Amino acid sequence: MTYPANRLQRYIMRAEARLFKSLSDETRLKILWLLLAKEELCVCDIMGVLGITQSKASRHLRYLYNLGWVMDRRAGVWMNYRLSVAPGSPEDKQLKLLAEILGSRPEAQTLKDRLEQCLTVKPEGRDSAAADCKCSCGL
Amino acid sequence: MIYLFNRIKRYIMRAEARFFKSLADETRLKILWLLFEEGELCVCDVVRALGITQSRASRHLRYLYHLGWVTDRREGLLMNYRLCVPPGSPGDKQLKLLAEMFDSLPEAQTLRAQLLDWLGKKRQAQAKDTAVEPAKGSVRP
Repeated sequence: MTYPANRLQRYIMRAEARLFKSLSDETRLKILWLLLAKEELCVCDIMGVLGITQSKASRHLRYLYNLGWVMDRRAGVWMNYRLSVAPGSPEDKQLKLLAEILGSRPEAQTLKDRLEQCLTVKPEGRDSAAADCKCSCGL
Repeated sequence: MIYLFNRIKRYIMRAEARFFKSLADETRLKILWLLFEEGELCVCDVVRALGITQSRASRHLRYLYHLGWVTDRREGLLMNYRLCVPPGSPGDKQLKLLAEMFDSLPEAQTLRAQLLDWLGKKRQAQAKDTAVEPAKGSVRP
């Protein structure tokens, strides 16, 4: 009698659990933090700042994309990502809380500084279908 | 040198990741929400409300205990748990946001109704027969 109800119940907070699952990884947290600091970022920017490989950066960005955290824009061979949460939605509030939590961490501040550095070094005009990444990531 | 730097960097948001990892499970979300709404709960209350086994409820509660979400109080054979996040801390704000998300969820309300129903029955049984041991009938669903 109670068995089918329990079966259904098991799934009722699955969406929310999935939301938190997407935040339960350091790399994804860092990526979201960087996207909060700068409106739009190229995969190569994230690689350069976090010191990770392109495949790892892309994989985590696709994960975030599939969950609706970010949306993409293709520019030449590189993919650009930006946050895509609706203002006032639970996800938006969650991001604000995340920014608040991470804002008090000096390490997070260091990451932000590195991002600024990486972006100033990068020459302008990269978006115009440039074949190579010209930022400091050294590719 | 670069390798070492990256190694260290890899751990800088580990605590936050762990924090969200503790919320990345339906059972733990449900337990946290019920504790947020009801205050202190016994393991058997969680077992009844969620329709899970006692070992599963205890395991998740211990997980939450080790991450500092809840504190325990032993009462005879039974373990009682309550939230222990300091007001204004990230955990507290997160719980409030969680409650905000769940308040609009009809399924979450059903869950709460189920818990209230069980708590009512439990109190009735205790009032009727003070000699009744809640551990015997209630631990196994």
